Amino acid sequence: MRTLSLGIAALLAGTTAMAQDVAQADNEWFTAGQERVQAELAKTQNTNTARNVILMISDGNGVGSNYVTRLFMGQQAGGLGDDHVIHFENYPNLALVKTYNVNSQTPDSAGTGTAMMAGVKTNIGVVGVNSNVVRGDCSTLPGNTVTAISEIADGMGKSVGAISTARITHATPASMYAKTVDRNFEDSVPEGCTEQTDIASQLLEAMTGGLIDIAMGGGRRHFVPEGVEVEEGTGGRRADGRNLIEEAQEAGAYYAWNMETFAAAPLDGETPILGLFESSHMQYEADREDEPSLAEMTAAAIEHLSQNENGFVLMVEAGRVDHANHATNAARMVRDGAAFAEAVAMADEMTDDEETLIVVTADHEHAIAMNGYCARGSPVLGLCMQADNAGIEHTGEPILANDGKPYTVIGYLNGASSVLIEQPGGEYFGARPDVTNEEAQDIDYVQQALVPLSSETHSGEDVAVYAKGPFSHLYDGTIEQNVIFHVMHHAMTAE
Amino acid sequence: MTMQTTRRRALALAAGFIAAPALLRAQGDEAIKLRELYAGDNEFSEFARDSEGERITVEGFMAPPLQADSTFFVLTKMPMSVCPFCETEAEWPEDILAIYTRRKYRVVPFNRKIVVRGELELGGYRDPETGFVSLVRLANAQFDYA
Ligand SMILES: [Zn+2]
Repeated sequence: MRTLSLGIAALLAGTTAMAQDVAQADNEWFTAGQERVQAELAKTQNTNTARNVILMISDGNGVGSNYVTRLFMGQQAGGLGDDHVIHFENYPNLALVKTYNVNSQTPDSAGTGTAMMAGVKTNIGVVGVNSNVVRGDCSTLPGNTVTAISEIADGMGKSVGAISTARITHATPASMYAKTVDRNFEDSVPEGCTEQTDIASQLLEAMTGGLIDIAMGGGRRHFVPEGVEVEEGTGGRRADGRNLIEEAQEAGAYYAWNMETFAAAPLDGETPILGLFESSHMQYEADREDEPSLAEMTAAAIEHLSQNENGFVLMVEAGRVDHANHATNAARMVRDGAAFAEAVAMADEMTDDEETLIVVTADHEHAIAMNGYCARGSPVLGLCMQADNAGIEHTGEPILANDGKPYTVIGYLNGASSVLIEQPGGEYFGARPDVTNEEAQDIDYVQQALVPLSSETHSGEDVAVYAKGPFSHLYDGTIEQNVIFHVMHHAMTAE
Repeated sequence: MTMQTTRRRALALAAGFIAAPALLRAQGDEAIKLRELYAGDNEFSEFARDSEGERITVEGFMAPPLQADSTFFVLTKMPMSVCPFCETEAEWPEDILAIYTRRKYRVVPFNRKIVVRGELELGGYRDPETGFVSLVRLANAQFDYA
């Protein structure tokens, strides 16, 4: 980038016609704008076949959540935040993505995962099947399953991996290997359901059958029988009495459950690797102890998979940006968002743009919103501060609302931190709690919300897709979410 | 506007914790956060070990109790609207505090912050009525709105 900018500066010096006419020609915003145009003009299209495809999904990281993470990362780095550029925001190609499910304006990760990994939109709550199925009804499964990108890649002789900080049986990673009429069938199916098995068994089958070469995340409890306690005090949930971890090991897989066993994993490109680092979801980045980071898991997966000369397809999910948003706990959301950015940077560093398509996106946005008019440098997790008319940075005085209280930069439209309190008699009303700038930035602070709900919701708002590598220029404009698959597929199969 | 803000800040500095109710403030206490009782995986913090048997003040939220007219509830660090006993799938956060009140108490909505004062007890205990197993408790507790 730096050498490119210098080249442009020299170029501009040679054609000064405009510079003479425009009073603001020396303004740094003006020259930066000119440089951007030159960079756009210099762009070339990469039409190589993609040997490798890496799909990186930050669950719940819509444009709003991503903006919040951008400010957080920029402020952590000592800046005002706004002008910060997250690693993947530098990528040459971008589209906006419509995320709705076939039967839901507000999508969930099951329907969106299937759209991205199999190329068709489907209903909310179902994985690896089309919208003809009735959620929860196994009898509607036959004839309605869809082929995932993992299976196409496997058929081309590529290796396949799935990684998540959520349970590996959760909707997004499950979209890589499972077909289920309900995302909640993580360790069992209802009585009488003979058309499919539970999601954990499907992962085992995918690993022993050679479809999935590496799978890492949380969700250990879904692999262990009820009444059996394994690592870290995990109590099993399986009613069928099977121990899928032992079955995987007997079939030759390597099992990792903490940092030590993760570090010892044989990343030889041969041994199937199963990492289950928590009973349920892996820890938030802010609380992480004795578990690999998303970037570390990404690096291990790429090392393992890249030994296949036919290439690989890898899905990486930051699963807990979503959970922190559900808890209206923006402080943890941004830290998992930053960990996602590190994982993307790691994937980029370990691969070559000439042969690797990297696709960075989110499955859906949340009911997160930003207040105004916060001055530059208002701490993104803290209070919305007054502007300084004579300077750039805020005055240090919070803006007060009509109720005389300050408010945070971020708010949520709904959630458990609703300011409406149930009164004796059942009616809800309330006053906004007072909050200081310090309290608002506490790791456990939950932003004020409006509509009282047990858990904050997703929203149907657009997400972005950022991409680099072969055919990444096909991500352009405003697209339906299932198009994400089709570009990956085209890049992988282009002659 | 500026006056108001300045006054709020001064108060916050003087009290150490702005939202603590007047009564508790008067006793010279500072409400601690729940997480200050813990130091990593199921370990108690130095503060917790030093304060065992003493009356301390903790801020948090009342998880919806299982039954009315009880002397037991669970304090959570964030508002949690799901009754953990009713929903089998509910995921308990790791840092929670079991509260045994001096008298039967009136339920506070799950999203209203409270401060609880009671005697700190450490070590495993199984609630005879609910079967709830706690590792750390406040006994003879009283609470108020934060
Ligand atoms: Zn979600």
